[in-house]
Amino acid sequence: MSRMVDSKKQADRRNFLLQAGLAGVASLAPAEHSGASTAGAAAAASGAAVVGAAAANPGADTYLSLGPDEAAFIEALVNVMCPADELSPSGVDCGLAVYIDRQLAGPYGKGDGRYQRGPFRQGKPQLGLQLPLTPEQFCKAGIAAVDAACVRDRGAPFAALGAAQADAVLVDIAGGRVADERLSLTSWFNDIVYPLFVEACFADPMYGGNRNAVFWKMIGYPGLPANHAIDMVRYRGKPYPGAGSPKSIGDFA
Amino acid sequence: MVVGGGLCAGLLSRQLTAQGIDVLVLERGVDHRGGAEARLPSQRDELRWAQRQGNMQNWQRETYSVRHSRHEESLPVRWMEAFLPGEGVGGAGSHWNGVAWRWSEYDPTLRSRYESRYGKKFVPADMPLQDWGTTYAELEPYHDLFERLFGLSGKAGNISGTIQPGGNPFEAPRRGDYPQAPLEITEAGIIFKAAAETLGLKPFPGPAANSSGDYLNPDGQRLGRCQYCGHCERFICEAHAKGSPDRLLYPMLKTRKGFEIRTRAQVLRIDYDGRAKRASGVRYLDLNSGEEYEQPADVVVLAAFTMTNTRLLLLSGVGAAYDPAARRGVVGKNFCYQTTSGVSVFFRNRWINPFLAAGGTSTVVDEFNNDNFDHAALPFLGGASIDAALSNGRPIRGRRTPPGTPQWGTAWKQAQAEWYAHSFSVSAQGSCYPHRENFLDLDPDYTDAYGQPLLRVTFDFRDNEVKMSRWVTKKVAEICKAMTPDIMGPVAGREGPFDSRQYQTTHVTGGTIMGAEPASSVVSPHLQHWDAENLFVVGASVYPHNSGYNPTGPLAALALRLGDDLARYVARPGKLA
Repeated sequence: MSRMVDSKKQADRRNFLLQAGLAGVASLAPAEHSGASTAGAAAAASGAAVVGAAAANPGADTYLSLGPDEAAFIEALVNVMCPADELSPSGVDCGLAVYIDRQLAGPYGKGDGRYQRGPFRQGKPQLGLQLPLTPEQFCKAGIAAVDAACVRDRGAPFAALGAAQADAVLVDIAGGRVADERLSLTSWFNDIVYPLFVEACFADPMYGGNRNAVFWKMIGYPGLPANHAIDMVRYRGKPYPGAGSPKSIGDFA
Repeated sequence: MVVGGGLCAGLLSRQLTAQGIDVLVLERGVDHRGGAEARLPSQRDELRWAQRQGNMQNWQRETYSVRHSRHEESLPVRWMEAFLPGEGVGGAGSHWNGVAWRWSEYDPTLRSRYESRYGKKFVPADMPLQDWGTTYAELEPYHDLFERLFGLSGKAGNISGTIQPGGNPFEAPRRGDYPQAPLEITEAGIIFKAAAETLGLKPFPGPAANSSGDYLNPDGQRLGRCQYCGHCERFICEAHAKGSPDRLLYPMLKTRKGFEIRTRAQVLRIDYDGRAKRASGVRYLDLNSGEEYEQPADVVVLAAFTMTNTRLLLLSGVGAAYDPAARRGVVGKNFCYQTTSGVSVFFRNRWINPFLAAGGTSTVVDEFNNDNFDHAALPFLGGASIDAALSNGRPIRGRRTPPGTPQWGTAWKQAQAEWYAHSFSVSAQGSCYPHRENFLDLDPDYTDAYGQPLLRVTFDFRDNEVKMSRWVTKKVAEICKAMTPDIMGPVAGREGPFDSRQYQTTHVTGGTIMGAEPASSVVSPHLQHWDAENLFVVGASVYPHNSGYNPTGPLAALALRLGDDLARYVARPGKLA
């Protein structure tokens, strides 16, 4: 691999970050990712399964943490959890996979602010995660474990499952019905993946998710600058006009 | 010499420097002013400041280990959500919501109150309630001063014993109205108020340190008018509209001769001479240079967060550590938290607009709080303030969905779209009384980044708190039903086990409790350590119990009084009486 290629890649990443971060308009996935699927016709038609999306996806090399298989997994996951419908584009098109990738690659994923000293013992769930893993490492270990369970139980990795099957897998994992010898997949989903998904939807768009503030529009959160001293009285008990066109930090930066 | 540059240190330094006494404050964090956390647009970043706790104690360096009983093994909480100590100038007082109660008039004499009302045997044997050794009347002038310094907004309910319509009829008597008019009521508050009134209750606007107008305090410090931006708790107010020490105290103190605050100074222990029964100073680590310093002092004041005050006494071997098995010792005793619960309500045709809110925009009823109602036939002590406490509509955490909503998918999105602007919660902020088996000590295995033992929390919701919460939550549900919402969420009181993963409040109390007897308290009613007359402790760590209110008001009053007491002590050292 020549240095030129490397620096070109880095430049692409920088450009991508600029677009995703500031303009919030970059689309990582192809507009019609169902076409990239080699899974069953039903899954392809639903647009929820994105087998091989990472390979076929021209933007996939902009992932900073996720490898190709991991990216395919997360893209499939966010498209199941946020299917394209009248309320929003698909999870990938909302930037949710990019958000998760950026968080895993950043301070959160590296365990910033988490107590990481040993000894590591397991105990009651109320005392929180007790793993010698960073969130990024736990997330990736869980992806591999879920894939192994999917291959074992359903004959294909997660990203190759149809939307309904993938959804059922997540329901089972969240409900504690998928076992792995070494990891709690329930904890993986409820402590790492689900919070990341919710943040991807509702955090400021500058972090890569909630693209075009689509989730803020959906619920009617007006965003910034939130100087509401007058609104507080004027719109108390009434629809708030600014709720239809939310502003993000990037709009003021 | 004061450990911890938060609210208490700021207030007592104000009193001391006014009398020409030199004060050095050691603070482990930085000054937030001018930082991304304190200006637009970066202040409005829920992910950075709320989710990732950008203004909080860094758990990587120091966390707490937790267990539910002393018969279990403790584990370090590797990412704490349950309560959030601050870091930096202003401490937790910079990122608070601004809810600023005076407690019940009888709170400082709570044990006497229960015993005189219900008999000597009414307080269970495993509940070490104790009087504070001071009274509300002694603290009232300092409450008044604090409220004027911080420009509180509210409506008086009891002026010198005369009940005021529209205020809290259970309020401790105050000398006058609040310095500022109440905050604007929220739509949720309007709904709550109407329902509470149909039940014969007396709703009122909660007391708030979010400034309802432009305000000039007695020190010439200004607050701007609150913008109802919904970014108070966990955030630094960029509009200078939240009464906070980093706004109202430290900038002023820095102009006073004889005041110095040293940031990035991590206090490791108190230098204590057990034979002379004196503190000679503290050891601290300069977090910039890595150098450890010995800082001598005539007087040492611990004014850090509840947990740190307790931990420093334990690390320094000052006073006898509490031993619940032998029922000996005092340091770490009476650790309390708070007992909260809530019920969500959903109104298809009402625009709640939760983002139009401030930290203290609450409408409250106090009928079921503490001992404001008859406990004679009830199997518990204590109670809760109940309110429509809509403080924000931040989108990551500030959403509610009806029971049965799936966790993701189209139906999940539909529920977000349908209910975000049309729902709120009615909350009970319940008391938490001490239990013999709830306490703090040093962890035997785990250490912080500087090699010192972590503080270990042994805590659970005991029988009294669980029963109280069930009863109070039914009262919450009655108010909710009277609102005739389209949908009501589940009605469930707080149950154990204590969960480090769920935020309730940052109101942890006790560990260095005050009282009239050295055998049952760490500090005297004047907050002077019984085993070192030049060592003082102030903060919620001195509360022998936690009430159904936010803890800041009495803590501020105690800190201001301590400032005056310290001036007396400096003039004439000895046991303060």
